[in-house]
Amino acid sequence: MKFWNKIKAVSLREMRVMRQRPVYLLASVGVLAFCLVFCLTFLKDRIPEDLPIGVVDQDCSSLSRNFIRQIDATKLGETCSFDSYTEARRALQTGEITAFCVIPENFYDDVLSGRQPVLTLYVNTLYFIGGSLSYKELVSLMNLASGAVQVQILAGKGMGADKIEGLVQPIRIDAHNIGNPAVDYRAFLTNALIPGMLETIIILLTVYAIGSELKHGTSRHLLEKAGGSMSVAMLGKMIPYTILFTMMGLTCDLILYDWMGFPMAGSVWNMFLGTVLLVLASEAIGIFIIGCLPILRLAISISALFSMMAFSLCGFSLPVEAMPAGIRGLAELFPLRHFYQMYVQEAFYAGGFSGWYMEAVSMLVFMILPAFVYKRLHKAFINLNFPRK
Amino acid sequence: MKKFLSYTGQWFSDWYSIFARELKHIFSDSGVLIVFFLAGLAYPIIYGIVYSNGNLDDMPVAIVDDSGSAAGRKFVRALDATRELQVSRTCMNMAEAENLMRDRQVNGIVWIHEDFEDNIAASHPATVSTYADMSSMIYYKNLTMGVNMAMLDGMHAIQEQKFSAAGMDGKQVEQLIHPIEYEENIPYNRAFSYSIFFMSAILLVIIQQTMYFGVSMLSGTMREENRHSAAMPWKLSGRGISRTVFGRGLAYWLIYIAIGVYIMALIPKIIGMPQNCPFGDIFILLLFFVTACVVFSFTFSTLIRHRETVFILFLLMSVVCLFLTGFSWPQSSFPLFWKWFSCIFPSTFAVRAFMNMNTAGAGLAMAEPQILALTIQIIVYYILSCAAVFIENRVRISGTSQE
Repeated sequence: MKFWNKIKAVSLREMRVMRQRPVYLLASVGVLAFCLVFCLTFLKDRIPEDLPIGVVDQDCSSLSRNFIRQIDATKLGETCSFDSYTEARRALQTGEITAFCVIPENFYDDVLSGRQPVLTLYVNTLYFIGGSLSYKELVSLMNLASGAVQVQILAGKGMGADKIEGLVQPIRIDAHNIGNPAVDYRAFLTNALIPGMLETIIILLTVYAIGSELKHGTSRHLLEKAGGSMSVAMLGKMIPYTILFTMMGLTCDLILYDWMGFPMAGSVWNMFLGTVLLVLASEAIGIFIIGCLPILRLAISISALFSMMAFSLCGFSLPVEAMPAGIRGLAELFPLRHFYQMYVQEAFYAGGFSGWYMEAVSMLVFMILPAFVYKRLHKAFINLNFPRK
Repeated sequence: MKKFLSYTGQWFSDWYSIFARELKHIFSDSGVLIVFFLAGLAYPIIYGIVYSNGNLDDMPVAIVDDSGSAAGRKFVRALDATRELQVSRTCMNMAEAENLMRDRQVNGIVWIHEDFEDNIAASHPATVSTYADMSSMIYYKNLTMGVNMAMLDGMHAIQEQKFSAAGMDGKQVEQLIHPIEYEENIPYNRAFSYSIFFMSAILLVIIQQTMYFGVSMLSGTMREENRHSAAMPWKLSGRGISRTVFGRGLAYWLIYIAIGVYIMALIPKIIGMPQNCPFGDIFILLLFFVTACVVFSFTFSTLIRHRETVFILFLLMSVVCLFLTGFSWPQSSFPLFWKWFSCIFPSTFAVRAFMNMNTAGAGLAMAEPQILALTIQIIVYYILSCAAVFIENRVRISGTSQE
């Protein structure tokens, strides 16, 4: 009972600190709320619409105008016309447009007389999503245009409509996108960014909360409250944060999978479990960093560097297997990587616990980390023998 | 005249002492040194290594060929021949393939339906179903591109055969298969490489963010210790705002011109990014960008009261900044609010100019709109940082007089 009373005393002390310094709530709830609003509103179109696509129409025939209308008719593209190749190239080079096509002179005549005119297509893939989407769109429109001409010629030869279909498009692709049927960029990016942001917030705030005790020399007071026991001090200190972070994480899960309705094949309860593990693992990393380097200003710089790497190494942008062999192992050092794997299992394949228990184990392994720095941090708490300024 | 000379002399001596003091502060603060030099110098290298492949070649896919036909096998061979895909497993049924995908042994499934060859023979569309793992857009892109190429290849072969059988000669067949030819040019990033597009954007964001964090850490420290280096030295007693901003600014400016040359000119060379712009043009962009970053950092570091709070409050801004450059989600699709919000950051304009110049080979003249925007930012943030010094000084003076 005494044990619990002491934990309660430490937790209450921590909550008083949090109340006195609004930066704690601002840096956790405030920052996460901003990030959520950013992800959900910035990408609200889900798939880019009306991308500017340039056209240099040197033919000005009914066929070329028809082709331009086709581009306009798609949800993705909106044409802007250029008088010359040079003008269009400049716009492409400056990123004003992500693609353009040149319709050559005598295009219509050449099509009619079977001289096979060449449409030229230029794409700027430096602006990645815009570039690759307009590339895909233009290539498929060009194939459609070819198909339309084929249909006319074959019909002219007296072929039946049912046969023509099989000749113009003999192989049909029926595409399924597992886990994100609509190729929704918002769902894709938000599902990776929000846990990453949560992880970053947790690591930084854990380091900050513990480091502040050292910086302001209040760690002895903390130990006193805990009756001299380091475990009580750390437990009591982390309990309010764990509750806060868990609530934040669960709220995000609810917002993403319930309110926004992002694809979720499995159960949101399993996501809750994963989120709790992510919170605990990230806290453990925070304790580990401040334990290794009990100087707040250094520890916070190091944790900032560390947590920013998680976004790249968790493998949602460039898959881990595409990274150089020497780097791949590093991905395992980030709880976010395991969380993302777990999310994919649960949300895409409804894998359930049996599908991702290894990821859960990996996240639990992080919780051993504080044990390595326990003594060092305890000594630092008592002696305050590290530079504070 | 004499008065003017003594004023200028005083200005320069104050300016120099502020500059020297700021440099001393920077180099005696290990936290700032970590951010400036460890992050500024090591991050680009780490990112360069992580993204060095830039692409995923030969992504493993599973095949379920229910047709068991010659046409099906031909299609599978065409898939395997693409750069994007590698047929790593052949499965008996979909259930087996689904298990492989769930275990992440393959990142896509291609299912050739039972009536594949029959349909081709009967001139009906034959169906191939694809299932892409959407946990990374690269998987999706690889499967879509690979299957499309195999499909077009198969399609042309089938058409050639059928049209020849219908009695057309070689020329007619060719004309009918390709009534309109197209030629694709993907000049700046031919292979859709992740490294080129990602690195071009992240490099400049690193410059801006590390500078902002470093400046804020230092001014936070000063404010904690009530030394107010962010404000003017005491002896100026309220005058000399410009020499304070110029003096402090020069210290960061010089350090970051060096770091900037490393990041914008040397790093692309080291990691093998295209460099299609003369160094002189890049350097001019760097001058504008670093200047804008200095006054930007001065302005927004006034929000920081304690040195560590800058990280816990603004670290994630780096991710937001990165997206606001429009390197991934196209700028034409930004919601209006975020379009305006993105104007706050120098990186928004500088990254665009850098991508266009360094990779797409646009000259400095073509980066005019971005240079103009950076110039406006420099003026606005200079005024704001002067105002911040003025206000902070006022507060301090009134604070001390009350004591």
